[in-house]
Amino acid sequence: MNSETGAAPASGTPLSVRGVSRRFGAVQALDDVDFTLEEGEIHALVGENGAGKSTLAKIVAGSILSDSGSMSLFGEPYQPSSRREGAAAGVAHVRQQLSLVRGLTVAQNLQLGRPDAPAIFNAGAARAEVERWSDEFGLGVPAETLIDDMPLAIRQQAEILIAVAWGARLLILDEPSSALGPLETQALIALCHRLRSEGTPIIYISHRLPELTELADRLTVLRAGKVVVAGADVRDADLREVATLMIGDVTLLEVDRPEIQRGSIRLAVSDLSVSSPHGVGCHGLDFEVAAGEILGVVGIAGNGQDSLAKALTGQVKLTGGRITVDGTDISGSAGQAIAAGVAHIHEDRSNGLAASFSVADNATARHIGNRRFTSFGVRLGDKIALHARELIERFQVRPPEPAAKASSLSGGNQQKLMAARELEQNPAVLVAHGPTKGLDPEAAKAMRDRCFAAAQAGGAVVVISADLDEVADLAHRIIVLYRGVVTDAFSSEDMTPERLGAAMAGLTETSGATGD
Amino acid sequence: MTDVVAGGERGEIEHAPAGTEERSLTTSLSTSSLAVLIAVVVGGLIMLFSGENPLTAYGAMLDGAFGSRFALGETLSRAAPLAIVGYGTAVALRAGLITIGAQGQVVAGAIGALLTAQFFETAPSAVAIPAAAIGGALFGMAWVLIPAMLRAYFSVNEILSTLLFTEFAALLIEYLLNNPLKPPTAITPQSDPYPDNGILGLVIDGTRFHTGVFAAVIIGLAFIWWVRSDRGFSYDLYGENPNLAQSLGISSNRVIINSLLISGATAGLVGWIQAAGLLQRVYVGIASDIGFFGLVVAFLGGATAGGVLVAALLFGALQAGGLAMQSSEGIPASLSDIIQALLLLGFSIRYAPQIIRLTRGVMANFTLVGRKRR
Ligand SMILES: Nc1ncnc2c1ncn2[C@@H]1O[C@H](COP(=O)(O)OP(=O)(O)O)[C@@H](O)[C@H]1O
Ligand SMILES: [Mg+2]
Repeated sequence: MNSETGAAPASGTPLSVRGVSRRFGAVQALDDVDFTLEEGEIHALVGENGAGKSTLAKIVAGSILSDSGSMSLFGEPYQPSSRREGAAAGVAHVRQQLSLVRGLTVAQNLQLGRPDAPAIFNAGAARAEVERWSDEFGLGVPAETLIDDMPLAIRQQAEILIAVAWGARLLILDEPSSALGPLETQALIALCHRLRSEGTPIIYISHRLPELTELADRLTVLRAGKVVVAGADVRDADLREVATLMIGDVTLLEVDRPEIQRGSIRLAVSDLSVSSPHGVGCHGLDFEVAAGEILGVVGIAGNGQDSLAKALTGQVKLTGGRITVDGTDISGSAGQAIAAGVAHIHEDRSNGLAASFSVADNATARHIGNRRFTSFGVRLGDKIALHARELIERFQVRPPEPAAKASSLSGGNQQKLMAARELEQNPAVLVAHGPTKGLDPEAAKAMRDRCFAAAQAGGAVVVISADLDEVADLAHRIIVLYRGVVTDAFSSEDMTPERLGAAMAGLTETSGATGD
Repeated sequence: MTDVVAGGERGEIEHAPAGTEERSLTTSLSTSSLAVLIAVVVGGLIMLFSGENPLTAYGAMLDGAFGSRFALGETLSRAAPLAIVGYGTAVALRAGLITIGAQGQVVAGAIGALLTAQFFETAPSAVAIPAAAIGGALFGMAWVLIPAMLRAYFSVNEILSTLLFTEFAALLIEYLLNNPLKPPTAITPQSDPYPDNGILGLVIDGTRFHTGVFAAVIIGLAFIWWVRSDRGFSYDLYGENPNLAQSLGISSNRVIINSLLISGATAGLVGWIQAAGLLQRVYVGIASDIGFFGLVVAFLGGATAGGVLVAALLFGALQAGGLAMQSSEGIPASLSDIIQALLLLGFSIRYAPQIIRLTRGVMANFTLVGRKRR
């Protein structure tokens, strides 16, 4: 905000951030941050959860204000006071939570809120424009499909496409790959490279270090609101060192897998079929999981994982087959699944928590109907809070405040809260869907340990994930889903990238492949 | 970039600020009082333009709402049915269901209460009164049963179906009061007088404060119990996040049907109170606008115990005061209607995000652009 901070930015530099700070109550989210985005580069911004990455992105995009510091955009002083102003200046921010209107088509989203929108919506022109951009970048973004009916990866491409069509001169992608499978990530990387070659510099925010070597030119690391690595060349950077700098504890990345004693079969799935109106469903799945065993289910997102997770937790009617837990049929009944001891880590935290409810209410939600916590049907707030306190302690939910709203917690703590609710009692079966998705290394380690602990306590664990590292870290055995059928099954020692890739792309013979 | 778009659509669950709660409370209080202020000022301007002195008018209104024993009785007897409908609607609202059929359920409840009371005409009051209350509640429930089942089993939008059933009720009562229920001597459509043994007597003579008003207290207490109960919690959880609720074994059909039945029962009770207490006969217009204003009260009260009470008293007072203003000062009571409408407008802006959030799930089955989702 004042002229004496830092050196004057070189003229034409796409983005220069000088001494920017931002505080939220007690949290200093950004502390005197300098950041420079050079022409034609992809600049990775990394850091663990809560490091301040999204805050910096929002300040650059104009959706929040900084407390102090200054910015310049392509050599001009830049002080956006709204997201609209940022967009008008050419800054496009693709958020962690995508922001397209789900009930509209891509073409309609293109025109909605566009800075230079014509007064009258010309459907033909909008469609043509989407198709033109989609072709130009070699994407398969359909112009006339509702956002709701598109897979996440395509939605994301649509949002990037719209940003470009709106004339973005600078793109910020906030954790774009956290929900993508390997092939989809490859496509995203190709798109970023394409944009870079067209002259659009990109700030790419991520947790995933490995993909950055291929993707980015330079790297900035934030820790607790401070820059700890400023614009290092990615080729020269030692990723282990970067990881250490991010979290200050490199052993977190090393999974030490406990020895687990395999017991008798607890989860048996036979000839399971589910039809899904929005996806591919599952067809004729057969597998069993024993006590102490962790089964990994991998596949590119959208190949039946959702249907499988719903089926295993009793949330959908099966169109065929059955699911038993310790011999009890739980097919199609969430109530019976819960009674049989099935725990569920939801893929989408916002789906797995009651966001506007308190931490205590969320932590104890599996106790609905438990007389221990009621008197004449009335919930006993004190007893519930007391019990919640124990769970908060055990599962290390921070802040340890039973009355806080669940939505006020950070992502990692929301995940811990969900784990506290689901894993309070040792589950017979744990269905963990993307359990470490979007978590910083420390929170991810905590979740992995929860999965190991559930197996060690004699539970049968099913980890469903699009993140191969996550599955490789956890699973003893792996099955691969492709279009709702199992295309390959092997133990984790036999896992090779070639074999996985073939199975996930549907190149493997499906006949006779089963999970055991 | 698409911030206009993003605003209402996505709740930013990512990192809600720690101070949100306080801030939203103060903003909510200030926007609420702002809505009241705007309604009063704009209402005053309209009075000025129509040649009335706003001070006289507001004075008369206040006097007519609270100024005397009669005025108070009038305010309470109008607020009570609004509160009862409001509490029942709030149960459904908290479960994420938007029923706008209270109007028809009040009508059905009045018919049910009358028929039951006529059946128990010779029974002692101690039997006839509760029997008619139950009869009214059951008819109210019956009136919402089909919309509830349609919603539960076929995902039929309950806003539309309950509205449709309100139309059915209006036609039915018209038919009944012109034909089978009409006494031979009557000229206008109406029923026989309500049986004496079922009448809810006056609490204070010379007012219209009848014992039926106490039903609002009982329903209010029941609502407080419901909100704090385990069952109520599970229904609220369903309203907050149906997917989560279902994954916790809470039956979607049960929540939908039961919460709509509860709202139907309370509206039915109001039909009974109006027939047995206030009017002591059944007329075509017995429900007045109670069903619709009850819905408004539930919304404006934020579906909470205290909020519904305050909103019901506010609207009861405005209605009583408006009529008093007309009779004492000759200022048209429709000015009070205008103020009620302004209030509604002001509050609905205040609550727009919640209303959008509540309706979004319902509307997801339909699209505005005329495309049917797969
Ligand atoms: N709107 C907000 N109100 C209060 N605290 C916030 C808000 N946004 C972010 N924070 C806090 O600021 C810190 C940085 O958050 P964020 O930038 O989202 O981290 P990252 O994206 O690196 O995970 C966190 O401690 C977070 O809880
Ligand atoms: Mg973030």
